Amino acid sequence: MIKGSYFNGETSDKKDVSLYYKDDGNVGFEELDIAEVPLHLINISSRIGNTPRYLSFPDGSQFETEDNAAIDKMVNTLSNDPLHGLAHKLESTKGFILFTLVAVVLFGWLFIQYGIPAMSKQLAEMLPEEASQYMGQGVLDAMDKNLFEPSQLEQQRQDELRILFNDLLKNIEGSQSYKIEFRLGGKIKANAFALPNGTIVFTDELINLAENNLEIVSIMLHEIGHLKRKHSLRATIQQFSLAMFVMVVTGDVSTSSSIITAIPIMLVESGFSQGMETEADTYSLDYMRKHNIDPNYFAIMMEKLEASYSQEYVACMEAISKESNKQSKIIQCINDAVKLNKEENGKANKTAVDYFSTHPSSEERIGRFREKTSSSVKKK
Amino acid sequence: MEGTSEVSAAAIIKEPFKFTGKAGEFFAIWIVNVALTILTLGIYSAWAKVRTHQYFYGNTFLADASFRYTANPVQILKGRIIAFIVFVLYSASTSMSPIIGGSALIILMLLVPAFMVMSMAFRLRNSMYRNVRFNFDKNFKQAYIVFAIPVLITGLYIFTVTQLQNVLIENPEAKFFPIAMLVLALSMGLMFPWWEYMITNFKVVHAKYGVSDFKFTASTKNYYGMYLKLYGLMILIFGGMGFLLSIMMRTMDQGSGMSGAVVVIIMLFMFPAYLWIFAYIQAKRTNLMYNNLDISGNKVQSELKTGYLLYLYVTNTLAMMLTLGLLMPWAKIRTARYRASVTSLNVAGDLGQYTSAQEQQQSALGEEIGEMFDMDLGF
Repeated sequence: MIKGSYFNGETSDKKDVSLYYKDDGNVGFEELDIAEVPLHLINISSRIGNTPRYLSFPDGSQFETEDNAAIDKMVNTLSNDPLHGLAHKLESTKGFILFTLVAVVLFGWLFIQYGIPAMSKQLAEMLPEEASQYMGQGVLDAMDKNLFEPSQLEQQRQDELRILFNDLLKNIEGSQSYKIEFRLGGKIKANAFALPNGTIVFTDELINLAENNLEIVSIMLHEIGHLKRKHSLRATIQQFSLAMFVMVVTGDVSTSSSIITAIPIMLVESGFSQGMETEADTYSLDYMRKHNIDPNYFAIMMEKLEASYSQEYVACMEAISKESNKQSKIIQCINDAVKLNKEENGKANKTAVDYFSTHPSSEERIGRFREKTSSSVKKK
Repeated sequence: MEGTSEVSAAAIIKEPFKFTGKAGEFFAIWIVNVALTILTLGIYSAWAKVRTHQYFYGNTFLADASFRYTANPVQILKGRIIAFIVFVLYSASTSMSPIIGGSALIILMLLVPAFMVMSMAFRLRNSMYRNVRFNFDKNFKQAYIVFAIPVLITGLYIFTVTQLQNVLIENPEAKFFPIAMLVLALSMGLMFPWWEYMITNFKVVHAKYGVSDFKFTASTKNYYGMYLKLYGLMILIFGGMGFLLSIMMRTMDQGSGMSGAVVVIIMLFMFPAYLWIFAYIQAKRTNLMYNNLDISGNKVQSELKTGYLLYLYVTNTLAMMLTLGLLMPWAKIRTARYRASVTSLNVAGDLGQYTSAQEQQQSALGEEIGEMFDMDLGF
């Protein structure tokens, strides 16, 4: 006898009833004057935790009960559907749950750490060159409109750097479409960008920091590294795969959970980005060693770039803005800022903000190039 | 309407909603769902969704009877596959060119009202109480009318803003610019309550339980009252915070590593403020909607409190951040338990009086596409 409620299906009327079943597989109700129904015609809802079970009868009526144990017993005696209740069996076995918990956590970590980057690398290699071209279209136009001003570098200086850049490309396979552009950075200060269609943009501010052209070459190589490794395309694929993965794991992305997933996603994506910066550094480093360029030039440039964002440097630049023979004064400014920065860096530690950063810490990057400097042949 | 004649001076009985789900039990269901979804490369996600809904519905009781979710996982899977293809095509088109991506977005936006209607219909058709299904009238024409006006106004707004910006570029000294922007922002803010009323009203009056219609007793006045209060509070909070921040920025100007400190401070202030506003809107909107639901004289009563919701959101967020999402089942259960505990039905007539409607099939497509684009379709 199973206690529960009976609903006739035509109205929402509720009757308290007791369900009975016989050995011949027929099911009926004590209190109701309706014909018995064979069990195989009744749809029994599968068990989910301790939620009520529903027995749907062919005439549209329904029996609802909270007595899960009794229903399970009835199903076991009268029917032999091995799939019935399989999910519930898995969901209520403690050992299995512990095992899945460990497996899911481990899998999630491995998939994000290694799976997604490897997958996107493969996919980016497989996609035709046009995929990157499409992505880059209009990016420079948009940046020109919103961020940049035309370059103020002298034409002679620009030509000199273009020749340097083209010389580099001679040694690099599949680089025919790469070109170099100069712009006044303004708000974005000293920086360089590799656009997916093969255009590398240098800001005047970055060029002005260099005392030696090889310092600029080292940054050119870093940006070429981004292009050669198809980083823009890979970043897009990675972001997409990560979003899909999060969607699968969390089930339905509801409003409250999307705030919460945003932070881990930010952490993972900055991790991806840091990995790509390191790859581009490696490319630059390898090229420099192969062609006997001192890796220290990259380290020097990194120090200058970091120092160029300091207040001291900005103040110094403002002070000299009206003077003539600027270039040598800029060098003076940046060298002072680098010195000051080094003294301060001696005290500072890695902060939490670094984990959200898109770039590895400059110290780490500079360290890599300095290490190689001491072991490589010094030659100017 | 059935039963209205029965409503007399007879006592109104307050029937509370009860939620009996347990975090441990749901955790087991959830982790098995995740594992099977990964193992089957996402195919099991349709079954996972149904089991999750069934767990929450089945644990929700009103007057000693539970709610039941009856969606067919195969139907959901089909919807998900189509939605996935649409999503991939859309993502590909946006990264290809702004023009193609833009047109794809416009086409999808034009389909939003239709998806919303299909989604509502699918969800309600698959919700059952006392063996009587809920239902939703698929009135596409009305849906497009309700959506067209705000979409047109928003389009007009964006157009005007870009025009004004062009004027500003040519004539940076223009004094009218900030005033024009303020007027525009104000008019958008004033339009929003009316829009929300229209959409909520549309959702409610087209919903049915069996063959009985829901009535919506709120008016635009209620929505204006709620939002004007919210705007006032937002101005107070953000104005005060901006003031504090500017003082801090000034005093810290000399120190080094300033940018990092400012980021941390902004996050420390902004995050709770954002959560508070989120909790406030959530509480007030939900209460306003539910408290004006009327089905043949039986009225819903909802008493969500901003403070308690905020406490839930903060503790849920912290718990999930610290466990990288593993405590999500716990967070969902306690939220559902709280919501049920403050909701009840004031029964004037008889809950057994409602009549079932005829059966018909529903497509899962609308709901799944809506989900892929993360639209809020909660009801």
